[in-house]
Amino acid sequence: MKENPRLQAVRAVQQELATIGIDPFGVQIDRILSPTEGLIDGRHTILAGTNNYLGMTFDADCVAAARNALETSGTGTTGSRMANGSYAGHRELELDLARYYGKRDAIVFSTGYQANLGMISALAGPSDTVLIDADSHASIYDGCKLSGANTIRFRHNDAEDLAKRLRRLGADAENALVVVEGVYSMLGDRAPMNEFVDVKKEFGAVLLVDEAHSMGVLGNKGRGVAEEAGVLADVDYVVGTFSKSLGNTGGFCVGDSDDMGVLRYASRPYVFTASLAPATIAATRQALRKLAGADDLRQRLQENAERLHAGLSALGFRLGAAPNAVVAVLVGDKLEALRFWDHLLKHGVYVNLMVPPATPGNESLLRCSVSAAHTPAQIDAICAAFGSWTGAKA
Amino acid sequence: MNHQDVVAQLVTILTPLAEGRVTVIDGTTELTGQLALDSLKVMDLMLAVEDDFDISVPINAIAEVRTVGDLATQIQKIQQGAGQGA
Repeated sequence: MKENPRLQAVRAVQQELATIGIDPFGVQIDRILSPTEGLIDGRHTILAGTNNYLGMTFDADCVAAARNALETSGTGTTGSRMANGSYAGHRELELDLARYYGKRDAIVFSTGYQANLGMISALAGPSDTVLIDADSHASIYDGCKLSGANTIRFRHNDAEDLAKRLRRLGADAENALVVVEGVYSMLGDRAPMNEFVDVKKEFGAVLLVDEAHSMGVLGNKGRGVAEEAGVLADVDYVVGTFSKSLGNTGGFCVGDSDDMGVLRYASRPYVFTASLAPATIAATRQALRKLAGADDLRQRLQENAERLHAGLSALGFRLGAAPNAVVAVLVGDKLEALRFWDHLLKHGVYVNLMVPPATPGNESLLRCSVSAAHTPAQIDAICAAFGSWTGAKA
Repeated sequence: MNHQDVVAQLVTILTPLAEGRVTVIDGTTELTGQLALDSLKVMDLMLAVEDDFDISVPINAIAEVRTVGDLATQIQKIQQGAGQGA
């Protein structure tokens, strides 16, 4: 069968990587040992690219809850929420999320990706306008595409640029949907949420905030950047994921809108997919119970982030943002980033290699995600591995 | 603005981005082909174009844009739409 020409660009990248002899997108963790360590190519490797911000994946209570649900409710639901896959636990998790955020209601989706896809495409249609941050995650771009709405980008984290674009819409600005993220996954920089809320109020627009990388990490109860900024009540919809701080898989949206009861039925990514397995729901509910009171974990995470940030700064690396759970090292050149990434892996440290066009500013990045479960010694080992690259170059 | 005026204004914006890859930019110049702008650069170009023409260009409106002339046509459509709405 002849090759599909649409895949030519991807095939070219794959061939280029094969020529160099490094495959950053095919890394396999042969055995996971803890939230922060795994065996890769027979090597004990520190995992610093997992988004396991609170180290919840091996939490004993979450594991026990999952095991119990597995034994009492089976391995899967084999159906969608709307047809035959809604168990009591799904709704209970929605009510837990609504209570946690202090919002009227919640909708649980099968992944975080689908939560953005499902919410944006249910809230906006072909005659509507969605304004999104230029550095938005692919799930936001794809949600806009699925909606068929007019999609307008504004400059990254620039509330005045958003205001300018809303102003051009005239009276239609009142019905526009604005989508921003709390923390941006590539560089770890956070949105000026107060400013965005001011603009949203000025024009009467609807504001949806994706707190995927800030849930559990920022805010007094871990509810994200909107909570940290004191504007959670002004955010119309908060989207989040179970696959980072909660250590599982799945996604959700919480909101105060009267539409919450019907939105799920207008959301194809909600309607036409299998619901989350009982063990996933049980472990996520258990993790969520811990989140509000996880001050000690948040403290440890922040200390680890500051230690890594300071260590890498001292080595002279350019970093993407102030200390946060995401610490991105800006490398610039794609080939150098690739070799640097491979060097780290061979020195027992796994981070994420990010290259354009997935990255802002045409820069290649080595993205570290810090966990509360990292020990200070592991953070120092990560810094040492980065430092050894500088040494190898000199 | 007529089509040629819009193209001329676009050429002014595009010239520094071309980095010498083409000697003459006109309505037939391809953005991703001849100017070698990747999808990200085209998106960033649009932010500059929006400021320059004081319009908003939806992402979905540039999906079919291949040449500088195509982009000029889209800009004119948006300008005319804004004019009718005012």
